[in-house]
Amino acid sequence: MTLLTIVLMAVITFTSRYLFIHPRLPVKLGDKMAKLLSFSAPAVLTAIWVPIIFVQQGQLSISLQNPYLIAATFSVLTAAKSKSVYLTMIVGLITFVLSRYVLSL
Amino acid sequence: MALTKKKSRWLMAKKGFLDMLPLNLAVLPWGILCGSLAIQRDFSALEAILMPLIVFAGSAQLVAIELIANNASLATILFTTFIISSRHFLYGLALRDKLKVLPTKWRYSLGFLLTDELFALSGNSKAFVGQLRLIYAVVAGASFYFFWLLWNVTGVIAGSYLPDLTNLGLDFAIAVTFIALVIPTIVNIPILVSVIVAAILSVLFKLMQFELDLVAAAIIAMYCGYLTDRFLSKNDDKDDRQLSPNLKDSL
Repeated sequence: MTLLTIVLMAVITFTSRYLFIHPRLPVKLGDKMAKLLSFSAPAVLTAIWVPIIFVQQGQLSISLQNPYLIAATFSVLTAAKSKSVYLTMIVGLITFVLSRYVLSL
Repeated sequence: MALTKKKSRWLMAKKGFLDMLPLNLAVLPWGILCGSLAIQRDFSALEAILMPLIVFAGSAQLVAIELIANNASLATILFTTFIISSRHFLYGLALRDKLKVLPTKWRYSLGFLLTDELFALSGNSKAFVGQLRLIYAVVAGASFYFFWLLWNVTGVIAGSYLPDLTNLGLDFAIAVTFIALVIPTIVNIPILVSVIVAAILSVLFKLMQFELDLVAAAIIAMYCGYLTDRFLSKNDDKDDRQLSPNLKDSL
């Protein structure tokens, strides 16, 4: 039963990824739709990372006691200035570990 | 000195691997959690490994493991998987015009590998255009698949011996990689508007425990970006007309 469930789940995830790139699907994207979709990457990716920072155990957490928020602030600034993925990750992870440590003292 | 074909393919493959590497490492805690959680919830090793092997979706895997363990109905499990996966429809739509023209083998492979992470690396307007960029994308996507599988298998083997890694705050690793990928793409006001709306609504919907939180926040945010863009370009048109009333005729 679990095996069947897993196979059906795989069908769903693959279909969700593949469906709209299938050439025979009768979908034609106009200019307006293409423009709208050009915002999909910043919009979706932001909707993934922002809740990780602000929502802890189902509660809104906007305070200097929130190490996620402190580290995210430094990460955003680093990303904006440097545009380097690696540098941003290093700065983000170091400030995260440090602020967690300091806050736990 | 021109690069040979072989050499430039190799360089593109290497770049794909290196660009994806931070994301591969960032999902380590989630991969291990998926694998070990499956074992702790009495999945067989085969079932636990089939998850990353064919389902290949982080949050859908985690939620489904808990649902299956709690004897949820098949319909509930599949519907939840569908809701969680629905953001991928947006990725397919956004990349449709580039990917639909590809030969079958590339199309199916990239379709299978089209995760949040691969989509995040596909922002370049020339992404997937030409063989070298396809090699880049497939290597990036395949390396993510490989690492995701590796972390899951590690979790399956370590099973219950490992403590819950998510309590260590390792989910911050995911957030920081997405920050690093999104922030530099904010190059104009419409994108900025879209990002701010997505940020506010995603938090709001999450707090409301709205099931379609991610997709709803994203679609509204995209629309706000689109409207801002139209508003700004209309104003530009007006300015142009005031400056040179004959411009329209000369075009």
